Amino acid sequence: MDGVFRGIWGGTRHFWEQWRIIRLPDVLAIAFLAGVIYGITSMAQEWTGAPRPAVEIDLSPWALPKYTFYSLSRGIMAYILSLAFTLVYGYWAAKSRVAERLLIPMLDILQSIPVLGFMPGLIIALAAIFPHSNIGVELAAVVMIFTGQAWNMTYSFYYSVKSIPRELAEAATVYRFDWRERLVWVELPSATMGLVWNSMMSMAGGWFFLMICESFVLGDKDYRLPGLGSYMSVAVAKGDTGAMLWAIAAMVAMIVVLDQLFWRPVVVWAQKFRVEEGGAKEEVSSWFLDLLNKSRAIALLDRLLRVMVFERPKHQHRPEKTPGPFSKILRTIPFIAFIVLSLTLVAGALKLIGTVSVLPIEDWVSIISAALLTLGRVMTAVALGTLWTLPVGIAIGVSPRLSRALQPVVQIAASFPAPMLFPAMVALMIFLNIPLGWGSIVLMVFGTHWYILFNIIAGAMAIPADMHEAARSYRLRGWQRFRQLYVPAVLPYLATGWVAAAGGAWNASIVAEYVTHDNQTLTAFGLGSQISMAAERADFPHLAAAVFVMASVVVLLNRTLWQRVYLIAEQRFSINR
Amino acid sequence: METKVLCEARGVSHDFARPNDKVLSVLDDINIAVRPREVIALLGPSGCGKSTILRILAGLIKPTAGEVFYREQPLKGLNHGVSIVFQSFALYPWMTVEGNINAVLRARGISPEESAKQVEEALKMVGLLGFGRAYPRELSGGMKQRVGIARAIAVNPDILFMDEPFSQVDALTAESLRAEVLDIWAMSDRNPSSILMVSGSIQEVVYMADRIVVLSPNPGRVRTIVENPLPRPRDYRSPGFSRLVDHLHDVITGHEMPDIAVAMPAAPSAIEPLPDATASEVIGLMEYLDARGGRAEVFQMAADTHREFGEIIKIVKAAEMLDLVDTPKRQVVFETVGARFVKAGPEERKAIWREQTLKLAIFQKIVELIEKQESGELDREIAMEIIIFSMPFEDFEKTFDNIVRWGRYGNLFAYDEASEKLSLVKPSADT
Repeated sequence: MDGVFRGIWGGTRHFWEQWRIIRLPDVLAIAFLAGVIYGITSMAQEWTGAPRPAVEIDLSPWALPKYTFYSLSRGIMAYILSLAFTLVYGYWAAKSRVAERLLIPMLDILQSIPVLGFMPGLIIALAAIFPHSNIGVELAAVVMIFTGQAWNMTYSFYYSVKSIPRELAEAATVYRFDWRERLVWVELPSATMGLVWNSMMSMAGGWFFLMICESFVLGDKDYRLPGLGSYMSVAVAKGDTGAMLWAIAAMVAMIVVLDQLFWRPVVVWAQKFRVEEGGAKEEVSSWFLDLLNKSRAIALLDRLLRVMVFERPKHQHRPEKTPGPFSKILRTIPFIAFIVLSLTLVAGALKLIGTVSVLPIEDWVSIISAALLTLGRVMTAVALGTLWTLPVGIAIGVSPRLSRALQPVVQIAASFPAPMLFPAMVALMIFLNIPLGWGSIVLMVFGTHWYILFNIIAGAMAIPADMHEAARSYRLRGWQRFRQLYVPAVLPYLATGWVAAAGGAWNASIVAEYVTHDNQTLTAFGLGSQISMAAERADFPHLAAAVFVMASVVVLLNRTLWQRVYLIAEQRFSINR
Repeated sequence: METKVLCEARGVSHDFARPNDKVLSVLDDINIAVRPREVIALLGPSGCGKSTILRILAGLIKPTAGEVFYREQPLKGLNHGVSIVFQSFALYPWMTVEGNINAVLRARGISPEESAKQVEEALKMVGLLGFGRAYPRELSGGMKQRVGIARAIAVNPDILFMDEPFSQVDALTAESLRAEVLDIWAMSDRNPSSILMVSGSIQEVVYMADRIVVLSPNPGRVRTIVENPLPRPRDYRSPGFSRLVDHLHDVITGHEMPDIAVAMPAAPSAIEPLPDATASEVIGLMEYLDARGGRAEVFQMAADTHREFGEIIKIVKAAEMLDLVDTPKRQVVFETVGARFVKAGPEERKAIWREQTLKLAIFQKIVELIEKQESGELDREIAMEIIIFSMPFEDFEKTFDNIVRWGRYGNLFAYDEASEKLSLVKPSADT
C-alpha cells in the first residue's frame, strides 16, 4: 500500500517538477499559438468580407505588420496545399505504374508552362463565382501561389520515392513492412531532404506569384488584395517613397524571419535523413532549433506525435492478406481517380478545341507573331541576365571569403519577389520615357536573373580545389582562366539556371508587357499582353488560344533547345563524371 | 517432422528485358536445394546471377520460368522463412541501431515491450550491446554489418540469406564476422537452421560452407556442387583446406579458361564475345607476367592485386583472345607475340595490338563496314546492330564501349562521342 502511494506521489511530483519552471521558450511557444489563432480569425474576416471596388490600403508603417501577416498567411496556406498535393500526387505516381505514365508527363508539362498565363482567367472566373465576398480573389491568389510551388516539390518527392536504394527497398519487403510502415519509415524519410530544399525554393518562388496577384489590376477592374504587394503598388501610385521603403523592409524582414525561425531549423532537423554516408559535410546549425529543443511544450508535442504515429497498438501476428470488403473499396479508389482524371483531360482538350476553333485566322496570326516577339524578349532577358551574373557569380563563387560574406545576401535577394518592385520601375520608366517594349525586357531580367546568379555561384563553388591549383601552377591567368576553366566548369549549372530563368521570364511577360500605372494602362505588343488584354475584354477564345500557344512554345522550347543545352553541358562539361 | 529440404529452386530460369525488346538470359535451369542445418554457398564470378538466385529464393523476384518451394509448398510472393543480410547493409540511416531492429520486429506485430527485449537480445548476440542509440553513419562497415546480422536474426528466420555480406567490410573484421556468424548458426537451440550465402571469394566459402554451388556466367548455370566435409572449426592452413581451395580453382579455371584451345583464326565466322577488360588492364597483366618470368597463376594474381578472381579471369581471357598469352591449367604464360609485345616500345605495342585485334571477327566486320560508308564514318547505332546480331547474349552497350576502347588503343579507329560516329585512323607512314 505504502509502495503504491509512494509511486503515485513520485509520479505526480515528477510531473509538477517538469512544469515548475516555465521557461522562455515555452512562453514563446504559447505566444506563437495565440498569435496564430488571432491571425486565423482576422484572415477569416478578410476572406468573408464584402468585395471592395478598389483596394484600400493604409500607408502608415504601423499597418504593415497586418499586411505582412496577410501576405505570409496566403503563402503558408498555398504551401500547405502544395505539400498535401505533393504527397498524394507524388505517392500515387511512384506507386502505380499505370498512373505514372499519365501523371509524370503531365507534371512535366505543368512544371514547364508559365502558369501566370492562367492568372487573369482564373481571377476573373473565381471572382465571378464568389461575387459577395473576397473568397474568390483570395482563393485565386492561393491557387496561383500553389501553381508556383507545387510542381518541383511533387517531382522531388516522386523522384525520391522511386530512387530509394534498391537494397533499402528490398529490406522493407523482406521484413514485411506494410504500406504505412514503408511510407513512414522508408519513403518519407528518404524524401525529406529533397522535399525540404524544394520547399524552400518553392516558397521563394511563391512570393513572386503572390506579389503579382496582390497587385493585379485589369483595366478598370481592381483585383488587388490587402497585402505587401498592394501596399507597394499604392505607395508607388501615391509617390510615397517612405512607404515604398517600408514595404521593402517588411518583405525582407519576413523573408529573414521565415528563414531563421522556420527553414533553418527544418534544414538542421532534416540532416538526419541524409542517405549518403561518410564525410561530415558542412555543419548546419540553427539557434532557433536549439532554443526549441529546450522547450518542454515542444518536447511534449513531439512525444505525443511519436506515440500516435509509431506506437499505436498493432495486432499480434498480423494475418497474411485480408482483402476485406473495405480494403477492396479502398484499392479501387486510385483506379477510379485515374479514370476520372483521364476523362477530365480528354474533356478539357475537346472543350479547348471547341473554344479556340471559332477564332478568326487574323487572331492566330497576331498571337503567333506576338509569341515570336515575346520569345525574342525572353531570350534577350536571359542573355542580359547572364551577362552580368557570369563574372559576378564566378567571382563570388571562387572566393571563399566573398561567398561567405555574400551568400546570405544573395539568398535573401533571390527570395525577394521582383514583381514587388515592378510598380516603382514602371513609374521610373514612364518618367524616363522608355517604351514598354524595351522596358518589359528589363522587368523580365529583374524577375529572373537571380536564378542564373544562384546557379553560377553554386557551380563556381563546386570547382574542385585541385583544378584551381592546376590553373595556378600552369599560370592560367585572367581571361584565359575565365574562359578555359571557370566558364566550362559552371556550364552545367548555368544550363539549369537558364531553364529556370527562361521559365520565369515567360511568366514575367504577363505582367511586364501589360502594366497599369496611375489608372492608365500601358501595353507592349507580345504574348503576355495578348493574354492580359484578352482577359480584360473577356475574350475567352483569344485568351485560351494565347495561353495555349504560350504553353506549347515553352514546352516545345524545353524539349528541344533547353534539353539539348542541358545534355551537352552535362555530358561535356560536368566535372564529376 | 523434419523436412529434407527447406527451400528449393526447381528449373529456375530468368530473363531481363532489355530496352530494345531483346531479352538477356541471366539464369538458365537452376536447381538448388537448401537442406536443414547446413551452410550452402553460391560461388561464381560477377555476372553469373548469384544475387538474382538469392532474390528469387527469397521471393523478391519472380523467375521467368521454374518454381521455388519453401518447405515443400510452392512459393507465392515473399518467402516468409528468410531474412537477408545485404551487401550494402541496407540499414535505414535515419533510424538508430535500435530503431532499425525495432522496426522489423514491429512490422511483425510484436508489442513494443517484447520488441525492446528482443532488440537487446539480438544486439547482445552480435556484441553490440550499448550501441543501440547510435546512428548507422557513426559506425564502421563491420559494425554496420553486425547490425544487419542482428536485424536478420531478430525475426527468427528459418534460413539466413547473406548476399556477399563481407565484401564491403575490411579484411580483418570480415574474418571475425565469419566466425561469429558460424557461432550463431551453430547454436542448435535457435534459428537460423541454415545459411545460404553468396560469395565471390573461394577462401570464404571453403571456410564457411558445407556445400559449394559453383556457377558459371552468361547465362548463369550451376556448374557443379562441391561437398565440403572439412571438420569445424576450420583452419586456413590445414592440408585439407588447401586441397579444397585448389580443387575449386581447377573447377573454375577448367570451365572459364578451357585448355582445349579454340584456335581463333581457324574459325573466323564464330564471333566470340569480348571480355569486359580495358587495354590498360591487359597491358598491366603483361607487365605483371613479365616481372615474374612470363608465368603466373590466376588466383595468385587475384590475391596480389586485391581483385576478385572473376575480374582477373576476364583480363586473362582478353589477353588470350589477342593471342598474347596462353593458359595451361591455372597458369598464364606468354605466347610469342606476348613476349614481343611486352618488350616493344609504345608505338610498336600499338602496332601489335592493332594487328592482333584485326584478327578478331568483330573488328574485321566493323572495319569492313566503316570502309563501306561513303562518308567514312559509321553510326554507333549501326555498329550496335552488328554487335546485337553477332552476340545476342552480351550486353551490347558495354561491348561497343570495349570495342571502341580496344580500337582506340590500337589506333584502329577514332570515335566522336558528340556525333556518335566511328571512323578509321589512317595508319601513319612510319608504322
